[in-house]
Amino acid sequence: MTERQQKLMDFALQHVPFDGERDVLKADCDIAIHLLENCEITVPAANRFMVRVDVRTICDEVQKERYYAVKKLVWDPAYADAMEAKLYFGTYDFGHTSACWEDVISLGIFGLRQRIESYREKAGNDPAKLRFFREIARVYDAALRFTKRAADAARKAGRDEMADGLSHLACGAPTSLYEALQTVILYYVLQQYFDGTRLRTLGRLDTLLYPFYEKADKDGVPVMLLDFMHEIDRFHADANMPFALGGTNADGNDLVNKLSYLLLDAYRKAGTHCTKLHLLISKNTPRNIVENGLAAVREGNNSIVFMDDATVITSLENLGEDHADAVNYHVVGCYECGGAGEVTCSCSTRVNLPKALEMALTGGRDLLTGKQIGLANDGVFETFDDFFREYLRQVENACGNAMICTDLCEENYGKMHAAPILSATYVSALEHGGDLYCDYSAKYNNSSVNALGLATATDSLAAIRKLVYEDRTLTLAELTGILRNNWEGQEILRLTVKNKFPKYGTGDKAVDAIAVKTVDHLAAFVNGHPNKKGGVYRLGLFSIDWRWKFGEMTGASADGRLAGETISQNTGASFGADRNGPTAHLLSVASLDGTRTPNGAIVDLDLHASAVRGENGLRAMTATLMTFFALGGFCVHYNVLDTETLKKAKSDPDAYPNLQVRLCGWNVLFSSLSEKEKDEFIARSEAAGRSA
Amino acid sequence: MKGLVSGIKRMEIHDGDGLRTTVFFKGCPLKCVWCHNPESISFEKQIAYFREKCRHCGACREKRDENAAARCPVNALTVYGREYEPEELVNEVTQDEPFFRAGGGGVTLSGGECLAQPDFAVEVARLLHEKDVSVYVDTCGFVPRRTLERILPFTDRFLYDIKAVDPAVHKACTGQDNALILDNLRFLSDAGADIEIRVPLVVGFNEKEIPAIGALLKDMPGITKVKVLRYHNLAASRYEALEMENTLPPSDTAAEDVERAVFALADCGLNAVNGTMAD
Repeated sequence: MTERQQKLMDFALQHVPFDGERDVLKADCDIAIHLLENCEITVPAANRFMVRVDVRTICDEVQKERYYAVKKLVWDPAYADAMEAKLYFGTYDFGHTSACWEDVISLGIFGLRQRIESYREKAGNDPAKLRFFREIARVYDAALRFTKRAADAARKAGRDEMADGLSHLACGAPTSLYEALQTVILYYVLQQYFDGTRLRTLGRLDTLLYPFYEKADKDGVPVMLLDFMHEIDRFHADANMPFALGGTNADGNDLVNKLSYLLLDAYRKAGTHCTKLHLLISKNTPRNIVENGLAAVREGNNSIVFMDDATVITSLENLGEDHADAVNYHVVGCYECGGAGEVTCSCSTRVNLPKALEMALTGGRDLLTGKQIGLANDGVFETFDDFFREYLRQVENACGNAMICTDLCEENYGKMHAAPILSATYVSALEHGGDLYCDYSAKYNNSSVNALGLATATDSLAAIRKLVYEDRTLTLAELTGILRNNWEGQEILRLTVKNKFPKYGTGDKAVDAIAVKTVDHLAAFVNGHPNKKGGVYRLGLFSIDWRWKFGEMTGASADGRLAGETISQNTGASFGADRNGPTAHLLSVASLDGTRTPNGAIVDLDLHASAVRGENGLRAMTATLMTFFALGGFCVHYNVLDTETLKKAKSDPDAYPNLQVRLCGWNVLFSSLSEKEKDEFIARSEAAGRSA
Repeated sequence: MKGLVSGIKRMEIHDGDGLRTTVFFKGCPLKCVWCHNPESISFEKQIAYFREKCRHCGACREKRDENAAARCPVNALTVYGREYEPEELVNEVTQDEPFFRAGGGGVTLSGGECLAQPDFAVEVARLLHEKDVSVYVDTCGFVPRRTLERILPFTDRFLYDIKAVDPAVHKACTGQDNALILDNLRFLSDAGADIEIRVPLVVGFNEKEIPAIGALLKDMPGITKVKVLRYHNLAASRYEALEMENTLPPSDTAAEDVERAVFALADCGLNAVNGTMAD
């Protein structure tokens, strides 16, 4: 850290202390303004649209410190052991937002500043509202001065195109495709680095930019889009920076346009790995753009997520969102969908389903530490249904406690974080006259619960049903004893369970039914459960990289998994359990009701390169996708794996610097993985090869 | 009526258009030296033992039967050959029907030689046809004419193997004369069938046959495609696991040899394409 950055950090951290009285909105505005005025601006030769600033992590530090301060005040030790044991987890999240991009692009930073005035005039004499408008206006004034300063720096560096654009954006709305793209990046920098609120989507770029594209000189567009893709990539956003293409409007018309193809093309050509793409697919989406997307995946660009537009919309309407808002949803981060005007808190609450099952078997005692972290029981369950009910009781308990932990944070957002730059893009915040976080002023203030390890828990329950209640090979107590000993001395039984027992992900309806019942029960418990922000909780089913950490803390399970091994990924089958190939895998996943998982449900489909070769291979991939969506699936991500390449890349990383794989919710370079993770990918590709 | 099946593979994309489910019927009248599905040569059930998978756990009690295979926790002992009633097989292979519909796929009857279990194969094809599921029949052609006549009405496409035109070469490669095979091909062509020819190219055995194959096919109606399959020596572990004599030619066919053959066939005006036997 340079001396200058240290000084900026010191300034910011002086505004952290929480004494119960401090005005967080004013403090965060002071920080933003100070950073905007004092950050160092450089002009990288490679950038076409925007300068670079040196304040990347400062706001994150402020948030962390505030959280620690709040935690001291509100923390309830009753939940500490269970959180530690990763039975569940609940915390704060200022990390999953979308701006109201329509307004950002149509008004520009300048127009957003002007708009504040029109709402200030309507606010009357309400001192709280007036204070809000005064503060955000101060920040936007600083943002415009910063834009001017950036323009001057660009001019000084001899970068006239960039300087002209920024000069104009300091005093007006974007008028050209170049300036619209520049606005996207300028806004990104402002929110990400000065607001301290992580921006997790650039929006539906094809629809947003189309009016500018129509007026543009078409010859220059492909290169401009390519430059844009490269520049976005250079932000090295944590967990990647997404944008979306497609979707539908309120009349149900598909929104794919000429620019959708050009953006997808630029994305393919750029070959970036820090940018990801959500393709929002309706039943009327032109088949060739779906095929173009899949062809990009097959080329090794596996950072494209395919989402079923209709399922997402229904899932949001089921939560009570207006049709017009639900249709115009955004996907923030990995798979989380929020309606227009929604500030989602997507990733702060997690429940470990295999650990909840462990609680049902042990009467709430952690298999690994012996601590009481779940509900006690007498261990006697006459029928499988009785046992299954106990499992659901433990799941509910874990889920309820996790939400309480999140509530403790969320009811204190007024003491933790203000988002002046983001708030000014939301009409609801302006109408309300309050900050999105401090004052919960979004139209929808939802929170989420993600349930992890669905397949591991389901396979374990199926194994318990067979071993204890059907074949009666073991009693429940004997099985629990075996798991406590981590299957020691029971290798034949363990391998038999693992390799020969019925599994989720094979299209076995009796096993799928366990997963379906679990998800339905969770959905009924979570969706609509009021949070502390005036909104509701919503269910998601993704486990991304948490599955490693949660797996480490989970004892041996009845599906043959050893203690500490990873739990299953997202909504997919346990590793290696998709014995009947990808179509059977998708049939199992499609049995889950996607309209009840508004926070996102994703299946990762591993395909071997040889299985998707040629024109027919592409047609087959398209068939898997469109069929899965027709059956009600939510979202698919493909990994096209080639064992030989992965093996070579492991032994000679320098020869494959750009090989990407999807680790969890985002893309990573294969070379950046741990040895353990590399081995898992190689094993997965071998499994995909066997079924190919 | 029961049939014996050595395996079912879903999401097959190499048997033609779209996404298909392939059924491997067990048993074949030919014995091709390069056969890469040794588990489907015999008409009897077989137990394979995959040594490299075995954990020596003792669950099999050193037996090599179906019960022992059922007990093997790692499938080192695997049974090849499962009996099905036609309806049962049809239910099994139409699980992916929604996927067939999206991609123009269907079911491929293959083997072994599916038409070597004629009553069963015809009944399965009829039931599939009745359900409006596309049926491809992958055959070596070494079957009675009557069988072809019976299955023809329920077949959307024949995937028909031609290994050699010269009877002596054919006999050396497959153990049988090819007169019946060539006659049957003419019959299907005359009957208006849609035929895709498969030519497994095994250097040292039949590469010199390509010009004759081109000449044979060039004016034959109904030949929609000729696919030259590149031979790979990949099936050795299954020969060993089945304790069958491994007759596989040791060296793979080179990609250039396949290209040359495709080129020569295309020169005869045929729609010749590249494929691989590993598919």
